[in-house]
Amino acid sequence: MAKVKRLEPQAGTRRRTDSSGRASIYIVGESPMVEEFAELCAGHGYQVHFSWNETPESIPPLTSKKITRGRIIPSGTSLALELTTIDLDRKRENLQRLDKALPPTAAIVSTSVTVTATEQSTWVLNRNRLVGMGALPTLIDKPIVEIAPTVFSPKETVEVVQRFFRSLGKEMMLVQDRVGLVFPRILCHVINEASFALQEQVATPQDLDMAMKLGAGFPLGPIEWADRIGLKHVHAVLSALQNDLQEERYRISPLLRQLAQGGVWWKHGSGETQERSER
Amino acid sequence: MIKHLGVVGAGTMGTGIAEAAVLSRIDVALYDVNGTVLRQALERIKADFKSRVVRGELKQEETSEAFTRIHPRTHLSDLSHCEIVAEAVLEDLRVKKDLFKHLEADTKPSTILASTTSSLSITAIASATRSPERVIGMHFLNPALGTELVEIVQGQQTSETAVRVARELVGQLGKKLIVVKDSPGFVVQRVSQALYGEALRLLGENVAAAEEIDRIVKVQGGFGTGPFERMDAVGLDVLLATAQSLYDEYGNEARFRPHAIHKKMVQSGMLGKRTGQGFYRYNQGK
Repeated sequence: MAKVKRLEPQAGTRRRTDSSGRASIYIVGESPMVEEFAELCAGHGYQVHFSWNETPESIPPLTSKKITRGRIIPSGTSLALELTTIDLDRKRENLQRLDKALPPTAAIVSTSVTVTATEQSTWVLNRNRLVGMGALPTLIDKPIVEIAPTVFSPKETVEVVQRFFRSLGKEMMLVQDRVGLVFPRILCHVINEASFALQEQVATPQDLDMAMKLGAGFPLGPIEWADRIGLKHVHAVLSALQNDLQEERYRISPLLRQLAQGGVWWKHGSGETQERSER
Repeated sequence: MIKHLGVVGAGTMGTGIAEAAVLSRIDVALYDVNGTVLRQALERIKADFKSRVVRGELKQEETSEAFTRIHPRTHLSDLSHCEIVAEAVLEDLRVKKDLFKHLEADTKPSTILASTTSSLSITAIASATRSPERVIGMHFLNPALGTELVEIVQGQQTSETAVRVARELVGQLGKKLIVVKDSPGFVVQRVSQALYGEALRLLGENVAAAEEIDRIVKVQGGFGTGPFERMDAVGLDVLLATAQSLYDEYGNEARFRPHAIHKKMVQSGMLGKRTGQGFYRYNQGK
């Protein structure tokens, strides 16, 4: 199998770059993570071409001239990001399409919060080019990134990915390739517990959030955090944990499961549902 | 407006509540069965006031005025005039039930009887009295003086009046509150347990090392401290007791099952910061 090639945002004689002299990244997956990563990469000098699985209802403004949209994977692409968390059939299709279209030297970084990177590697022919990443919407804006190499990932692939994230100002932290990785798993588990407490009407969503912030030093309340990330994503991670670990511990709160269908948090005692809005 | 607060038990929690109250211009009858413990508590408060004056947090006049509001008491009947009595004795249901029986008899019928328990059922404590509507929970998150939050716990039969009086007291102390239904762990300990428990699971499955998990939670999550640092700071024995009690109280619910690593650490005497060794090693005397 071909070795994965190095890349840098700056032009280099031996590197695969586009006409402007910058390395080119292809991003595919679900909104809003696709936009978040497109902006991040473009902000650090990469030429970005992206495609959504489903076009979002309101198309977010993408300001950078470096970002273009389209399904065709440009021939000059040197690294691809696959950012599908919820629809895993779609993820498999995307990965297979990437694997066929990309030069054998291009690495693929794929979110692995709902299916391990190792399992994803078995869907493609060029297994050594794929590594997993821990990412959920709104969580990518931090100076570290969790990366899960697979049993097939050679050192070279991991080094390329490390260099890529370093160029985005992020330090790579290597963790074992398990569903949910570290932070998405912890956070979603906390949200699930908060949801069980809400379901039992132990406290209101607002009180629960305030209590965790003031009483336990949480930067955000679990409920507002869940709303920010999107309940569908939280639910997808919890379902994957449940399927993967097959333990009673990972049973999903029925309230959360229902809300993931597009509902709103139940307002304690008042008998009405309430839209949560940012204050 | 609460003018008279009774505090039963002059340990760390009781003393902290008394101190917060007198600084908020509430008169406190501080009770302990043990006269020596009571004297020591007064000394602790005096010393704390002094150091806070030195640090410029409080004025000398404020502290001496506040100190005159503390009235050490060794008979429960001396608390009879209080609008509310908060108990901070041993976390033992039998001890608390017995105390509430006496408190009910020794105070006026309108006195609200609060327990600061962090783990026992308010409903169970109230069942020892003939007026369970007077009994309420007030869980001061540690430390009582510095914390911003009190969980007010409504037992099965707690009256709205009791909730109103407890709210008033917390408001006068300048703290925020949430009202929670009487349930194991209330909100903060229960949801925190999910954080600790899952961090332990990740460690147990060797997904990452304790330091790595802490770092990820801090940098990626924006937490001030990581789960293992927190566990070390609180004390692994204290947390294991909490975890075990949640597990028992929720009928062996799998989410609350204490982790084998946690048990082993406690068995080996590695209890965290206090013993110099937990998930991290600490310099002795620090």
